[in-house]
Amino acid sequence: MTRIQQVHWELEMDYIGHPYYVSGNAILHALDQHVPHDVHQHLQASHGMFVPGQFGTFPEEHSQSGIRPYLGSGLPDVESYDDLFLMRNPAQRWLLDSRPRDALNTHDIRPQSGHPTLSHETIMGKPEGVRKQQQTTKWYINAYLHADDPGALPLGEDVLEGLQFGGKRNYGYGVTRLKDTQVVDLDDLDYSRLEDGDTFLVEVTTPFVLESEYPSAADQDVPWWWKESRRDLREREEKILEQREVYRLQTVDHGQFVKYEGDRPVETAKSGILRVGTHSKYGFGELRVKPVDPRPDQCKNSEKNGKTTE
Amino acid sequence: MSDDTMVAVYRHDAHKMNGQPHEYAPETFAGVPVNQTVPHGADGDASALSRPSGQPEQTVENHETLYRLSLIEGESRYDPQEFTRNGVEGAVQELLTEDDPETIHRMWLESDVVSAFNESVYYPYTSLKYHTLLVAALLDNYRAGHEFADLRLVVDDADEIVLHRTIYASEEFALRIDVDARGQPSARLGSRPWRSWASTWNRLTAHPLDTAHDKYDMVLDSNLRRIGAWSTALQSIEDFQGVFDQ
Repeated sequence: MTRIQQVHWELEMDYIGHPYYVSGNAILHALDQHVPHDVHQHLQASHGMFVPGQFGTFPEEHSQSGIRPYLGSGLPDVESYDDLFLMRNPAQRWLLDSRPRDALNTHDIRPQSGHPTLSHETIMGKPEGVRKQQQTTKWYINAYLHADDPGALPLGEDVLEGLQFGGKRNYGYGVTRLKDTQVVDLDDLDYSRLEDGDTFLVEVTTPFVLESEYPSAADQDVPWWWKESRRDLREREEKILEQREVYRLQTVDHGQFVKYEGDRPVETAKSGILRVGTHSKYGFGELRVKPVDPRPDQCKNSEKNGKTTE
Repeated sequence: MSDDTMVAVYRHDAHKMNGQPHEYAPETFAGVPVNQTVPHGADGDASALSRPSGQPEQTVENHETLYRLSLIEGESRYDPQEFTRNGVEGAVQELLTEDDPETIHRMWLESDVVSAFNESVYYPYTSLKYHTLLVAALLDNYRAGHEFADLRLVVDDADEIVLHRTIYASEEFALRIDVDARGQPSARLGSRPWRSWASTWNRLTAHPLDTAHDKYDMVLDSNLRRIGAWSTALQSIEDFQGVFDQ
């Protein structure tokens, strides 16, 4: 039995900090003050992805379908492997086309003493047109925990409530409230899309650590079941903060896809959820295995129209 | 191949700047032909890069004008003093009447007047400026016999402007659509045109931003990984550098 506990926090105040995600390290640090030491030492946390609370529709590969109000503001049921990743990609492909999805899915920025601060809500609508109320979209942080001692989970709602992330916390930035949490057993999920597939891609959902300055952390090469060599991959530097010390990490930047060369996609998928490589305890090395859709009619929309007018 | 076709591309959506529907818009502006059909389907393909297929729907309540909304400031650049019919015509006059291909491409890359307009009133965060530059880049590639599936987004140095193919230029870097990356960082656009900005940007072999050390570049990059529409994304890079460049 391998369980993860999904956690969905609502940002109640603007956030100053890592703009790509709340790192798993930051989540573990925030939990440190609320969880007994003997439980905390077993915990591992994913990076927390920023998600707008908006209307949305489930992408095709998900076990559920249909349009839901405020899909991003809670945790939908998880039945299949793909369901785990609904809100783990910054592009949030579930957002509705009938709304200004790019405006709703990008962070409003308020500079605060030189720091770009991510706004905790997006307000749209014209102030002069108060006939209809302005529309507010709140931002959420989607993360999950697992533990090497199964007894450590689930954490109670009391310890997940009121956590604070990011910088300038003394000034109230980065306060959250717990919106939703649920436990998912990875062994119970439907992996049939992977069982039925022939060829696969691996999505680097969070950065994969190649080299770390952290004491006695092992340097890693990319896993053998990626086709790509390190030379072909875009890298980015990351940092881990520990006891006021900054340790630099050299990573394969997230968002990239690599070809999968292995022959056990389900096993690779399961280990990718729990993350692979150095500092996976802190959210690095989350991977998603995706079957390559061999649809032959992929070009059906590409017939050339003379022009587009309106 | 005549240069007239490439000049016509920059004039193909003139009606969007004076708010007339394509069907009723005058065929000339200040004596030059405008609103002509773009060959090879380049206009339709560029539209598909920024807007959903099917019938357009209004996506922002209370906002159905040709003035663009900014992702950064959330406001339109509409200024009743500046954007009178005569004011608009004066401001865009040169952009539409210039007839040297190289000059007109440069003028569009540098224009901020045309950034004030969206490519569709229904999708007010899209940008007429970058839609037009995308149409030009696609057409120039199609005319050279390149298929969409062979095209790449290429990151160039700031001073590297390739006629009709450069779609974005700033003091920091330039972006180009081409089949040959010439050793620069690049990523394929994909097999067919769709709102694929974030996925193409994510696959670039190197990003032109300092995403390891510069907090503002990281925030810009974080937003660029969230945007689907191409013209919206290109415009938001321009807007971001205008607002937050220190």
